[in-house]
Amino acid sequence: MKTLHRTIVIATAAILFGGASSSIAVANPARDDIIKSFATQAEMPFSAERGKALFEAKPGGGKPETPSCTTCHGTSPLKAGQTRAGKLIEPMAVSKTSGRFTELKKVRKWFRRNCKSVMGRECTPQEKGDFLTYMSSK
Amino acid sequence: MSNHENKIKVWDIPTRVFHWSLVILVATGLITGFVSPEWWMGIHIWAGYGTVLLIIFRLVWGIFGSEFSRIETFAFTPREVIAHMRELLFLRPLHYIGHNPAGAMMIFALIFFLFSITITGLLVLGGEENQGPLAGVTSYQVGDIAADIHEVLALILVVLIGLHVVGVIVEMRLTRENLVKSMFDGYKIIPEGKTPPVTRPSRPIAAAAFLLAFAAISGSVLWVFSTMPPSGIIQMAENKDYTTECGDCHEVYHPSLLPKVSWAKLMTGLENHLGEDASLDRDVAASIAAYLDTHAAEAWDTEASNRFSRISLDVPYQITATAYWKRKHSGISADVFKRKGVGNRARCASCHRDAATGHFDDQNIKIPKQ
Repeated sequence: MKTLHRTIVIATAAILFGGASSSIAVANPARDDIIKSFATQAEMPFSAERGKALFEAKPGGGKPETPSCTTCHGTSPLKAGQTRAGKLIEPMAVSKTSGRFTELKKVRKWFRRNCKSVMGRECTPQEKGDFLTYMSSK
Repeated sequence: MSNHENKIKVWDIPTRVFHWSLVILVATGLITGFVSPEWWMGIHIWAGYGTVLLIIFRLVWGIFGSEFSRIETFAFTPREVIAHMRELLFLRPLHYIGHNPAGAMMIFALIFFLFSITITGLLVLGGEENQGPLAGVTSYQVGDIAADIHEVLALILVVLIGLHVVGVIVEMRLTRENLVKSMFDGYKIIPEGKTPPVTRPSRPIAAAAFLLAFAAISGSVLWVFSTMPPSGIIQMAENKDYTTECGDCHEVYHPSLLPKVSWAKLMTGLENHLGEDASLDRDVAASIAAYLDTHAAEAWDTEASNRFSRISLDVPYQITATAYWKRKHSGISADVFKRKGVGNRARCASCHRDAATGHFDDQNIKIPKQ
């Protein structure tokens, strides 16, 4: 009970401070709408910290070639990654690549594909929201 | 002064320049053909063009040149050739001021083979590479057959060159004349007691006029040929979906690099695309599948479309899994593929600078040093 309580506090704090401050820096109505659309289906407020954990996790269950998001995106969202076939991937952080997560079709496509590649299943709206919140805070 | 009296100018300057230029060009052709890696092909082709020009010149000079350059002076009858061979067998060859019958036979053989090699070379260039004046009229299959003939003829040429050199050495020993020196300074020594022959001078103006007329006619014919578009290359508009969707993760591979069956299999298995989920929205997938089917290898007649049509049965749409790909890249070490400028095996364009066009010309290969 105690840990759950703490998580909620941290999450709320993250949204209030971390989330709010960064969204001022790189606000984009289209992106905000996308995050909001996930929020309606999520169980709890989004957390950049959980997003970070998701980004760095090696959950297993996916394809052996892609154990983690970081396999292709690299460990820092501020830096460019590389596909397995050698194509450059622009940094995931919104502060570096301003057009990120502004097109619903693209966001859906890449979540569908990459969650399946890494985890063997689609991501939940909660996970998607956490992920986008993390990348928006960066 | 007495020394000069038994010397006679045998080889005129054009014949000597021809001989040594041919040595350089043929050596270049052989080295770039048999030894050098593919990307020397540009030099190989120019050596071929140079060789055919030299041979045409020599044939014309064989009519208008000075006495001993004229073909008629070394067009021996079979009886004379056999007689000379017999003399050689008994190590007592008679002295000839110009070419002896054995040498003459070698000249005709070399000219015949060199000419055949350049013709088959042009067919390979036009058929396999879709380049050169015959690109518009030569199919890949013709080029492929010509390539085998080209190689066999070149091997025979190597043997002939060896025989030519051995022949010169043997004759030099038996007749005690320095034939190599003669081919540089043009002079030969007349044996004592032999009267110098009456020699006719060359007719350079007639030769030049003849060559000019020949160049004009053959040049026009070649020009007409070269205006034809290369056979087996079709017009292809870009498909934006293909470029962006596939190009997000990897190089945009030219549709001609795989046959229809491979593309179809690939497009129905995008959920597990070489270890990744690459699924697409249905309408986008349909547009890409149609584009690939229309422009697959079957629609082309290029070296790549023909070669990569022999797909690997295990991974029917992985170009690097084909036997041809593996064979062509067997000489390239794993370290080269790891270089920063290369990246990995999936990045054709790192080295094949024209990969996006599907041409894959040998001359367009450049392996990054880093």
